[in-house]
Amino acid sequence: MDIVVSIKSLAFTYQNAKEPSIRDINGEIGDGEYLMIMGHGGAGKSTLCCAMNGIVPRFYNGEYSGNVFIAGKQTTQYNPSDMAKRVGLVLQDFEAQLFSTNVELEIAFGLENIGLPSVEINRRIDRYLDLIGLNGMRKVDIYTLSGGQKQRLAIGSVIAMEPNVVVMDEPTTDLDPVGRQGVLSLAGLLRDGKRTLVMVDNEPDAAVGADKLWLMKDGEMTAQGVPGDYLKDEKLLVSCGVMPLQTISLFRRMNWQGDPLTVEAALELIQKNNLVQYRDRIIWTDSNVFSGNNFIIEAKDLGYRYPGASQDVLKDINFGIKRGEFVAILGQNGSGKTTLAKHFNRLLKPTSGELLVNGKQTTQYRQNELARLIGYVFQNPDNQIFASTVKEEVGFGLKVLGENAKVIEKNVAEALAVTGLEGYENMSPFVLSKGVRQRVAVASVLSVKPEAIILDEPTTGLDYQHQRGSLDMLKRLNKKGHTVVIITHSMWIAEEYADRCIVMKDGEIISDGKTRAVFADEDCLVRASLVPSPIVRLSNRLGTKAMNVDDMVKELSDESIHLQ
Amino acid sequence: MNLSIYSDDKTWLHSLDPRTKLFGTTIVFIVCLCFNHPLHTGAIALCMFALALSAGAQKAIWKLRYIILMLFLFSAMLWPFFTSGKTIVWTWKSLKLTRESILYGLAMGFRLSTFVITGLILMATTKNEEITDGLIKMKIPYPLAFAFSTALRLVPTFVKAGATIVQAQVSRGLDLESRNIISRFGKFIPLAVPMFISAIRYTNLLAMALESRGFSPDMQRTFFYEPTMTKRDWIILYFLAALLFISLYMRIILNMGVVMPGRI
Repeated sequence: MDIVVSIKSLAFTYQNAKEPSIRDINGEIGDGEYLMIMGHGGAGKSTLCCAMNGIVPRFYNGEYSGNVFIAGKQTTQYNPSDMAKRVGLVLQDFEAQLFSTNVELEIAFGLENIGLPSVEINRRIDRYLDLIGLNGMRKVDIYTLSGGQKQRLAIGSVIAMEPNVVVMDEPTTDLDPVGRQGVLSLAGLLRDGKRTLVMVDNEPDAAVGADKLWLMKDGEMTAQGVPGDYLKDEKLLVSCGVMPLQTISLFRRMNWQGDPLTVEAALELIQKNNLVQYRDRIIWTDSNVFSGNNFIIEAKDLGYRYPGASQDVLKDINFGIKRGEFVAILGQNGSGKTTLAKHFNRLLKPTSGELLVNGKQTTQYRQNELARLIGYVFQNPDNQIFASTVKEEVGFGLKVLGENAKVIEKNVAEALAVTGLEGYENMSPFVLSKGVRQRVAVASVLSVKPEAIILDEPTTGLDYQHQRGSLDMLKRLNKKGHTVVIITHSMWIAEEYADRCIVMKDGEIISDGKTRAVFADEDCLVRASLVPSPIVRLSNRLGTKAMNVDDMVKELSDESIHLQ
Repeated sequence: MNLSIYSDDKTWLHSLDPRTKLFGTTIVFIVCLCFNHPLHTGAIALCMFALALSAGAQKAIWKLRYIILMLFLFSAMLWPFFTSGKTIVWTWKSLKLTRESILYGLAMGFRLSTFVITGLILMATTKNEEITDGLIKMKIPYPLAFAFSTALRLVPTFVKAGATIVQAQVSRGLDLESRNIISRFGKFIPLAVPMFISAIRYTNLLAMALESRGFSPDMQRTFFYEPTMTKRDWIILYFLAALLFISLYMRIILNMGVVMPGRI
């Protein structure tokens, strides 16, 4: 096999950074191989990706040593437009990568830059729109595409330049499960087309289909080899900030033979070896989520339409969230989750129907009264961080609400303690990592002690350990009596942490109930572009109640004792 | 919410060469500057509005209706106090209003509205890429042409980001409803810092994305939509050139359409 990418003792330290971002990286990627790179936040995955297409060190200042060869030539010797013909880079943020008016122009942009005649450009637009599943959408305004379509278009616009290697840096992080599947199956198609592919992703199921896996930790390479070998190694994955495969965890804990990487493989093994006693499928009846009247947030026939728009983005929404509940709002990109949540603290006002907080319409509150009742953490912490120290940042809400210095001091200390930020008080929030900045944003909302806290995608861009850390913290808050509402694409998070799930599609609620019941109805979830995590799919097929590995082990062990 | 101005349509203005539209816009701007009588600038504004209707640009104008209205009202109300004419209609202490200055204010209101409407017609009927291509064909260096059209394109993006940041801070209790100007200034920092940072982050990502698509300022590029001048483009250009000539003649030689001589 020809070697397309060859990396030799690569190291890079960003300007003003104390530690190198990556060091002593060696590796080779063969022609047509599909390589998956995984690692914790800050492990140096993005830096490595950028080094492959020469953006490091051309674009970023810093100390660079070692070599990266693409098709035998050093990256530092290519000029940008030649480089683009060799290595295509797709970034996580699809919004920033798409800048054209319509779909065909987006694909054409790179092709114009490398000087192709318009006849050839036309041919390639046809070919690649077909590949990424956007055929017939040539003239469509990019704004109207779904998240998954946008990311596929970003990939298409890069592969249309027919580079030797396509590098994708976390292309699925911002996508709903079905959008993510679309991108992953596109990756599969590219591999079948013998295109060399490098992908960074932190969900282990993505690695199942890859030829090779590189695991990174603290800027160094911890493991390089066939995915199957390392995906079995729970400890290694966790130490690299990657969530272990639930099917593997289950088999290990149950002392079952075999290493199933997928739900299908697990089911086959279970049936073959007769590991679980057959049981009837449980029919989940919904236990009165709608009863009671102690609602902190309640929607009655709520509808919303953006000014000047011709269609409602929310239609006929009815639900009530009880004090002390932990609720997850699920649904695909653009299904109206965020629009709905923004009604809770009156960032938006219903165009029809009403939204009540503690029984009173949001429009009857003053904005700062609502800020004390409902805290709202935005998806991107950088949308709100501005102060020069963490303490000041966290105390900002209290200050503008007119609290005195003593209360501010006390509440800030409590909020920092609960979010695990003690010791960060006098640091600048801007130098902290994404995960910590996210916690600063949560703390700054918590300090006001709102009764309910709403979080929009609190785990995007965090690695497994930080995701767990954030969610455990929210669970603790919930135990202390705060109502918690999260909007999430991450199925396992909803399954493990939420008591109740609200599923949205096209601005309507299509399912609302206890998490277990909602996740038992896979057909309904698929309609909302959602797919339960492997353990729940397994649980649904086996007829068990469990929604995570721990419970599953308990449930099945009890049974085997019973059988004896 | 879709903030982009372009409307995907097939009107006669859409099918014109971008160069014609760029020249046309410039000529309309100059013609506007020739007159300061409200009847004249008002007539031009009306013509441009009719043109906007024929180009399907009314949606874009509707989106910016408040801005256009504010521009009109502010200039119509403020100009009279900063200019002076001969025929006094009202005085109070040192303030005085004259007939000429009121007319001049109205004329300026129409002129500014025309500027906005004309710009909107251009943007509603011309894709961003066509503007770039047109500018390149007019021998504007590629980096400059690209920077210009990208700046236009980024406006809605930044407006959206700004709206999110305002919402994020309002959720934390930032009170933007109060009237006090001085306390408002203190509220500027919690908004400005994240906006600045998000703008930097966005442009950084955009630059990376551009590089990985082979963008470099000094290259030879091809055009997927090759702009071509048709006979119709030339007719329109001749017509506009004649219009420009007539306007200049009216103003400079005949001194028509003027309420304040000596002012543009």
